[in-house]
Amino acid sequence: MIEIQNVSKQYTSGRGHIAALTEISFTVEAGEGVILAGKSGSGKTTLLNCIGTLESPDSGIILCNGRDICALSPRQRALFRRKEVGFVFQASNLLPWLTVAENLQFPLELNGIYGTAQRQRIEELLATFGLSGFEKALPGELSGGESQRIAFARAIAHAPALLLADEPTASLDSTTGRQLIELMFSLCRSRQTTLFIATHDQELLEMTEKILYLKDGRMENRRCP
Amino acid sequence: MRLGFLLKLSILILLRSWRATAVLSFMVISAVTALVFLSSLAVGTNDAMIRNSTGLFSGQITGSVDRASETLRLAIPGVERVLVRRHQQMLVWQDEAVEPILLMGVDPVAEKENTALWKKTVSGRYLLPGEEAIYLSEATAQRLNLSVGGKVQLGARPGTALKTLTVVGIYKTGITQLDQGMAFCPREAFPLADGSIAVAVFVQAGTSPDDIVAQYRHLVSAGTFTAWTEFMPDLQQLIDLDSICMAIVMVLVFAIVSVGISCAFLIFTLKNLREHGIMKAMGLMSGDTALLLVLQIGLLTLCAALLGTVTGVAAVTLCAHIGIDISAFTSHNQYFAVSGVLYPRLTATALFTPPLLALVFGLAAAVWPTLYIIRKNPADILRSV
Repeated sequence: MIEIQNVSKQYTSGRGHIAALTEISFTVEAGEGVILAGKSGSGKTTLLNCIGTLESPDSGIILCNGRDICALSPRQRALFRRKEVGFVFQASNLLPWLTVAENLQFPLELNGIYGTAQRQRIEELLATFGLSGFEKALPGELSGGESQRIAFARAIAHAPALLLADEPTASLDSTTGRQLIELMFSLCRSRQTTLFIATHDQELLEMTEKILYLKDGRMENRRCP
Repeated sequence: MRLGFLLKLSILILLRSWRATAVLSFMVISAVTALVFLSSLAVGTNDAMIRNSTGLFSGQITGSVDRASETLRLAIPGVERVLVRRHQQMLVWQDEAVEPILLMGVDPVAEKENTALWKKTVSGRYLLPGEEAIYLSEATAQRLNLSVGGKVQLGARPGTALKTLTVVGIYKTGITQLDQGMAFCPREAFPLADGSIAVAVFVQAGTSPDDIVAQYRHLVSAGTFTAWTEFMPDLQQLIDLDSICMAIVMVLVFAIVSVGISCAFLIFTLKNLREHGIMKAMGLMSGDTALLLVLQIGLLTLCAALLGTVTGVAAVTLCAHIGIDISAFTSHNQYFAVSGVLYPRLTATALFTPPLLALVFGLAAAVWPTLYIIRKNPADILRSV
């Protein structure tokens, strides 16, 4: 379960202080899928970064299964991300020097999954995502949809408790994007993985159980379908 | 993370970013090649100076023994040739002109085979075995008003000649010790039966004359031996100076190259900044990130240094075979009295120092890009790229 309590975050730039998040609070149950909706600059990415411990809020608490992840040391945060979190970024997501199989191998290596277990997991992921035969392909040889499917496969390779996707469909056409999001929801639901997707794509809002609207760093309201 | 996977990752990054790898490698390869060659050339230059200076007459070791039989004990491992000579200080005169000289009784065949004095003949020819002849320096011949074919008398004092010899050749070396007060005759024509016995020892390439002298001092108690390092301290200093200059050049070259590598590698790393951000976001620790970058630059430098060493060795081998003729620049230099051809020679120092320095400076060059990446927050990286 993810509990977010009064989380605020400010950035300081040449334009002065910018409130990226202001007093954000909500709770998401384990295995739930959430869409963070809002326009560009509304604070979606900052909120995802705070949940994923990529950055710390200025104030407030984020509890992951009762554990305050904002109080973790940098090393503990890296370990938390390694074990508990999977990330899918907007684009250029894969490591370009590694083949598809090697990209999938990366989180498994980080989490100490080696040998036969590793090979089996990679084969299983490729089969699940319909990408068998792509093992030796380099990211540059894949289409946008294939790349994002591999990125998603990599994000869940080590079976994280939390999957954070930041605009995962931004570089895809609407059909491919919709298929990817459906796959994300279906797989996360079956694996009890809590899913956060940040998007400004209105078409995707119909696909989820829970949507959190952000505007200028504030939560507007909560809508359950 | 397993070291093996980080190593694999480093190799894949280098191989699959081959253009950047090639440019970075080229800097190291060219520096190592140049320095292996320059170091070997410096060794070759030193060799040439030693060869020229000792090969003219003295050998790498000069000495004197009390009995002729002692000379047989001097042929020990590491010694190529021992030339035995008789010598005596005496006077040489022609009409009223008198000159003090050190007359050397030599074996002309052995001398011609092992020394280069005969190549410095300016008039006439070198000695032949058994003939009643003398081989004089140009300066002595001028003072005695002699030319080839002239006759000179030798003895302890004018008027009591022990022997009369015919001048068959006149030489000029440009080296004061040989051009002033020395003359040569075949051993059979030497005027005295009991002249002192001198030896000139030629050691094999790579053998230290000082080591041979130390052995001689142990073997032959009734004799004195001096290595060229002692009787030519000026040459020893010149060689030491050459070594110091080479060391300074190597450090300077690699310091400059390492700054270049560091800048280029930082650009290479910045090009992959987003990927480093993604890896950090996935939980790659700072230590692993540092190790990944150090492995990359370490591998790159190691491979490039090895390749540079191979090309350097190839260049040295080629030039060692054909030689580099610098006679045009050494005609008035006493250390190149015989030949101005240099033959670069590989030594362990010349072979291993450049790649080792490249590796050390290469790893030092990794510090800046590594610190840059590990200090960056992954969110800042992903936001900025």
